Amino acid sequence: MDLASFVYLGVTFGLFVIFVLIVIRTYNKKNKDKGEVAKYNMLDDD
Amino acid sequence: MEKQNYNYAIVRSFVIWSLIWGLVAVLVGVIVSFQMVEPDLNFPPYLTFGRLRPIHTNAGIYGWGVGVIFATFLYIVQRLCKTPLWSDKLAKFQLYFFNATIIASAVTLLLGYTTSKEYHEMEWPIDVMIVILWVAFGLNIIMTILKRKDEQMYISLWYMMASIVGVAILFLVNAAAEPVSLFKSYSAYAGTNDANVHWWFGHNAVAMALTAPPLAMFYYFLPKSTGVPIYSHRLSIIAFWSLIFMYLWTGAHHLLWTPVPDWIQTLAMGFSVMLIAPSWGSVFNGYLSMGGQWHQMRENYLVKFLILGITFYGLQTLQGPMQAIRTFSAFIHYTDWVPAHIHMGTMGWVSMISFASIYFMIPRIWDREIYSIPLANLQFWLILVGQLIWSISLWVAGVLQAGMWNAMNSDGSLTYTFMETMVEMYPYWWARAFGGVIYLVGLIIFIYNIYMTVKKGEPTAVTTATAEGRA
Ligand code: HEM
Repeated sequence: MDLASFVYLGVTFGLFVIFVLIVIRTYNKKNKDKGEVAKYNMLDDD
Repeated sequence: MEKQNYNYAIVRSFVIWSLIWGLVAVLVGVIVSFQMVEPDLNFPPYLTFGRLRPIHTNAGIYGWGVGVIFATFLYIVQRLCKTPLWSDKLAKFQLYFFNATIIASAVTLLLGYTTSKEYHEMEWPIDVMIVILWVAFGLNIIMTILKRKDEQMYISLWYMMASIVGVAILFLVNAAAEPVSLFKSYSAYAGTNDANVHWWFGHNAVAMALTAPPLAMFYYFLPKSTGVPIYSHRLSIIAFWSLIFMYLWTGAHHLLWTPVPDWIQTLAMGFSVMLIAPSWGSVFNGYLSMGGQWHQMRENYLVKFLILGITFYGLQTLQGPMQAIRTFSAFIHYTDWVPAHIHMGTMGWVSMISFASIYFMIPRIWDREIYSIPLANLQFWLILVGQLIWSISLWVAGVLQAGMWNAMNSDGSLTYTFMETMVEMYPYWWARAFGGVIYLVGLIIFIYNIYMTVKKGEPTAVTTATAEGRA
């Protein structure tokens, strides 16, 4: 494995960390209602 | 609601053109399937398998697939953002330029100009046209999203934006080439790097053109058709981000057992298997959204298309990861198994969702009730049976082919010659052509139904979401 492969894996890991933060934010109890509101709003776009 | 301001004329035009290109794609597909069993049906130099096959795939993906993406995205964005399009002029330009690009692609491919990169065959002048087209489209959608009325964005908008940004990045990186004349260019990458970049593009084109957009449509048209919201918006968001995170690393699963570095292949294999989770996140969200609504499978033809579509997506995303495992790949790679996988995805998943989306939009954009629901039901069965015959016959063919290629005598020599393995394929290739004809009949019925709706359909009386698709 050369430097390029470590950079490649490093970027992968960095993105994984961002992904974990998104999961934590989305499933945070504080955001529960906010996270679901769009699915009701979309039904009355008629 | 400012319904009168919505630009439905552009949606109507894209629906019509996507149907035209869809018909071309399937018709040419049926022709090439007969050329494989009857080589005398090849008429050199233009009407040969080699020239017609890329016309089939490009008309299918870019004419039908992208045509439907344009139609549905331009519709959905206005409805979800509760605001008219940012620019009607840009949308009109997009329509003309789309058709010019598709025609230029078909003509140059017929004349034999090709980069020889699968799904990216068109030469550099057409690449430039595609970039202009995509920028016009993407700009209009993103600017419309920016002026939306609701702060929270519904999941379909996320998938739409991912598709716009994703296709742009993939296409630009893979298109890097040095033109040496008007119709000839050489890739900026060489050897293994070229293959690696190309399949990074190839598989993510599957993600950004054949997965994210139908998911955007599914998440929008399923609740609109049933009248009940999706099961969980937060689950859809997590599935979205994990899909985006995982897809980018999987391209090298097309290059297992090649000189691409081993660790890249292993990474691709691992991420491909993990991809089951976000894919099935959407599948389950779809199924759970049907809680208490399963009776609609009988009563509502739209739901039938949508649920069968997401089911094929589920099967596709279970089969895909299996194919990405080295040992499995060693067996099925280069065999007819792979086109069967592709066609369950395109004829099952992408097209089923596209048919439902168009059926849903028609009464709203033309103010006409669908001409015949029995015809829509007949089409459903023809599409389903045609696709199943197509895929199942080639899965069987692929396993047989792989078995024969691998068979060895006790002295280590091959049991079968390549020609013997070819001859064994004929019954399956006939079955495939037969399945294709059934599917084509289904498509023609669909187009006829739409045509009659526009010509003779009753003016829409009921516009509530729940009543829309009742049979
Ligand atoms: C979890 C998701 C998926 C995974 C991991 C996956 C995996 C794979 C693999 C490993 C191959 C290469 C087979 C070989 O040549 O040996 C392949 C081919 C292909 N897949 Fe999938 N697949 C997935 C979903 C889909 C979906 C949803 C579609 C939509 C239509 C699709 C369309 C294709 C196409 C077009 C090819 C053929 C590429 C070629 O021409 O060689 N796949 N897939």
